[in-house]
Amino acid sequence: MVQFLQQLVNGLSIGSVYALMAVGYSLVYSIMNFSNFAHGAVIMLGAYFGFYSLTLLRLPFGVSFVLAAVGTGLVAVLLERLAYKPLRERRAPFLYFIITAMGASIFIENLVVATIGPTYKTYPAVFGQGPIQLGALSIGRIDLTMFVVSAISLTALMIFIDRTKMGKAIQASAYNMKASALMGINTDRVIIIVFALGGALAGVAGVLFGMKYLVYPQIGNITNKSFIAAVFGGLGSLPGALIGSVLLALIETFVSGYLSSQYRDLIGFVILIAMLVVRPTGIMGKSAEDKA
Amino acid sequence: MLNVRELHVSYGGIRALRGVSLEVNEGEIVTIIGANGAGKSTLLNTISGFLKPAKGELEFKGHKLGRQPAKIVQLGICHVPEGRLVFTNLTVRDNLLLGAYLRTDRKAIAADLEKVYALFPRLKERERQLAGTLSGGEQQMLAMGRALMTDGQLVLMDEPSLGLAPLLVKTVFEIIVEIRKLGKTILLVEQNAFKALEVADRAYVLEQGKVVKSGRACDIAQDPAVRAAYLGSKSVAGGM
Ligand SMILES: Nc1ncnc2c1ncn2[C@@H]1O[C@H](COP(=O)(O)OP(=O)(O)OP(=O)(O)O)[C@@H](O)[C@H]1O
Ligand SMILES: [Mg+2]
Repeated sequence: MVQFLQQLVNGLSIGSVYALMAVGYSLVYSIMNFSNFAHGAVIMLGAYFGFYSLTLLRLPFGVSFVLAAVGTGLVAVLLERLAYKPLRERRAPFLYFIITAMGASIFIENLVVATIGPTYKTYPAVFGQGPIQLGALSIGRIDLTMFVVSAISLTALMIFIDRTKMGKAIQASAYNMKASALMGINTDRVIIIVFALGGALAGVAGVLFGMKYLVYPQIGNITNKSFIAAVFGGLGSLPGALIGSVLLALIETFVSGYLSSQYRDLIGFVILIAMLVVRPTGIMGKSAEDKA
Repeated sequence: MLNVRELHVSYGGIRALRGVSLEVNEGEIVTIIGANGAGKSTLLNTISGFLKPAKGELEFKGHKLGRQPAKIVQLGICHVPEGRLVFTNLTVRDNLLLGAYLRTDRKAIAADLEKVYALFPRLKERERQLAGTLSGGEQQMLAMGRALMTDGQLVLMDEPSLGLAPLLVKTVFEIIVEIRKLGKTILLVEQNAFKALEVADRAYVLEQGKVVKSGRACDIAQDPAVRAAYLGSKSVAGGM
């Protein structure tokens, strides 16, 4: 029983950060109908931004988060303006967007290797030592931070999307760009906001992963997981991204805990493929006709 | 109010409009009738700023129209698009409020919402329902209501009766007349020429991207060529 609860806690902690990354995929997909594979590179930059805010600028922990989020938000918007906007204006087929995203990802990763270098860096210890004991359960301080920060960020995002005028405009544009332009919505601005939001959350996720693991130029590959989670939950659906992320993380931790961690990633991809075969739209995804 | 002069629009090599000129005056219902592929939707989409004309001019209340749909809405042109395109993922109420996206006067918005509900009591009943759960006819009403919420003075309507049962078609045309009574000017694109000519003041006949006839709706309805092509054997006089 204790082991079960322990796995549950670990799963929720990792799952919440997967969700933080997955919503970035989903937001962009919901509006532009392509998977922004440069998202991982943005997360990696977030990890570095956080690292240097803490070490070089010696800023407090909370401020470093904000700085990383603002930085990656800007990077994501810049990426949209420089790489995707020209494609949009030419009404390029979606394959071009994917290829551009992959190219941008490789570019950013190598830029970091060339300037900062390929070595691993360790975040300074920001928390006291030792896990928090809750009866027989022990919760790592970093794991707890991961969960709390992710939960707060995701709640803020949900409130923004659900309650504000711009949030409604994003939902309208996700359904149909033309119709939302007919309401007077500036769809170009909606796209900027979506990239800024996804980018900022990516920065937060980058800092969390940097703290939990290490910082290195390929850390962005971890977004493979959140991409699987986003597809699993239903690309383009925010609740889907959340559910998919938590489920994937729970399955992963239970597989590692009860079977072997060697099977962990294998299972993740098996789930992805099974989902695509059985229900291509994911748990909560838009059906093809919804998106007509 | 709206002036279209010598408009040419192409999709790649396909010339959809070849020198269309027309005007709509304040308070009128003007209809454009034409067969499938005549270029009716192309014309409305160009007015709304989605397509770039190769040649020609668009002017609305003295303003030249460019290619920014949001600006055109702000100038006072609203558009009920072909296929309705209601936001199926949002509630009826949210759909209507999105129509008022550019407006800031809460009181006026609330008043207009009541007007729309008075015009379409069905929408009021289904206020909290997702738009995707509405029937085709209800979605058409929602698309009209949403356009009215922009408070535009000129309403462009692209085949509002398409795909509706005969009884609903009748309702839609009655509503169009009601909308004019609210002080709106209407440019109505229809394949249901019979009904459209009944409610319109003036009409243009579009064939393969060109205006081939124009005039008072009642005269167009009597035109032998138009009757043969668009009105079939239906008696126009009986319906008037
Ligand atoms: N996106 C597009 N790409 C290429 N050609 C197009 C496009 N949209 C329309 N066309 C062509 O332009 C011409 C005019 O089309 P349009 O949709 O304006 O006709 P319409 O009068 O609205 O017809 P309908 O009554 O069927 O709606 C047609 O020949 C059509 O095939
Ligand atoms: Mg059409």
